Amino acid sequence: MTSSLEKLVEDIIKESKAKAEKVSKDGQTQVEEALAAGRTEAVRDADKLIQEAKAEVEAERNRIVSQERQKARMAYLTEKNRVLQEVLKDVRTRLLEATGNESSYRPFLVKAIAKGVDAVPSESVRVALCDRDLKRYKGRQLLDEALAGTQTRKKAILSDEPLETIGGAVVTSEDGKMRADCTLEARLELMEPEILAEITKILFAS
Amino acid sequence: MKKVIEAEKEGHRILDQAEREIAEMKKDLPNRIALMRQQILAEASKQKEQVLTEGQRISVEEAERVASESRKQVKALSQIPEAKRKRAAERAIEVLFS
Repeated sequence: MTSSLEKLVEDIIKESKAKAEKVSKDGQTQVEEALAAGRTEAVRDADKLIQEAKAEVEAERNRIVSQERQKARMAYLTEKNRVLQEVLKDVRTRLLEATGNESSYRPFLVKAIAKGVDAVPSESVRVALCDRDLKRYKGRQLLDEALAGTQTRKKAILSDEPLETIGGAVVTSEDGKMRADCTLEARLELMEPEILAEITKILFAS
Repeated sequence: MKKVIEAEKEGHRILDQAEREIAEMKKDLPNRIALMRQQILAEASKQKEQVLTEGQRISVEEAERVASESRKQVKALSQIPEAKRKRAAERAIEVLFS
């Protein structure tokens, strides 16, 4: 009888311990799960923070580098333009010297006069040259040569008034109302883009 | 019979104690989660600072590299040989006379 009572007491304690152990185990599992969920959320937020910082850095890097590239491009273009303008200035200086070369200047002058004569819609035209050319090309030969190159039968006379120019000619109608500027200065201005392209090809071709 | 009643009491006590311990753990749970979150985010903040500092250093270096390359290119432009400039001017005059 005593033995079975002890067994009963023992069973009661044993059963309670088992229940307590289950309560404890279940509770711990719940706590661990809650901690794991909290950790996951925190790690996710932390990753987001770092990713945002990386994106911020990337955007800032792009901005800084792009700004520097733009500055570099501007500096390069400014210097390139400076060099081009220097050469263009040199061209203007050398032009005067080039007009002394009969073999290249004379054909140019003939063509310039012919273009001017064609451009002015007048039966009679007046051709003005610079003082140097007036002295150099006296007589009608230059004008006749120029007129031969035109499609018209216009009359042309050489003006006595010397022109302020490096070279080339200005052709005006007899009444002075129409005028074709075929001077080197005008041609240089007109052809500047083309000339700059030629200079660029030589100077900056890689 | 008395022993059985005492055993029942002891059994309840053991179970109550286990429940109290778990309740205590659960009660403390928000604090533990908050502390853990704080530590993780603090570490992330440190990493963020490192990322920003390192990023800035790399950006400055890259910008300096671009600037240095630009200075070289600009210098090369200003060092175009005189003969080449002369050739360009002569070609320009040739075009002008053509």
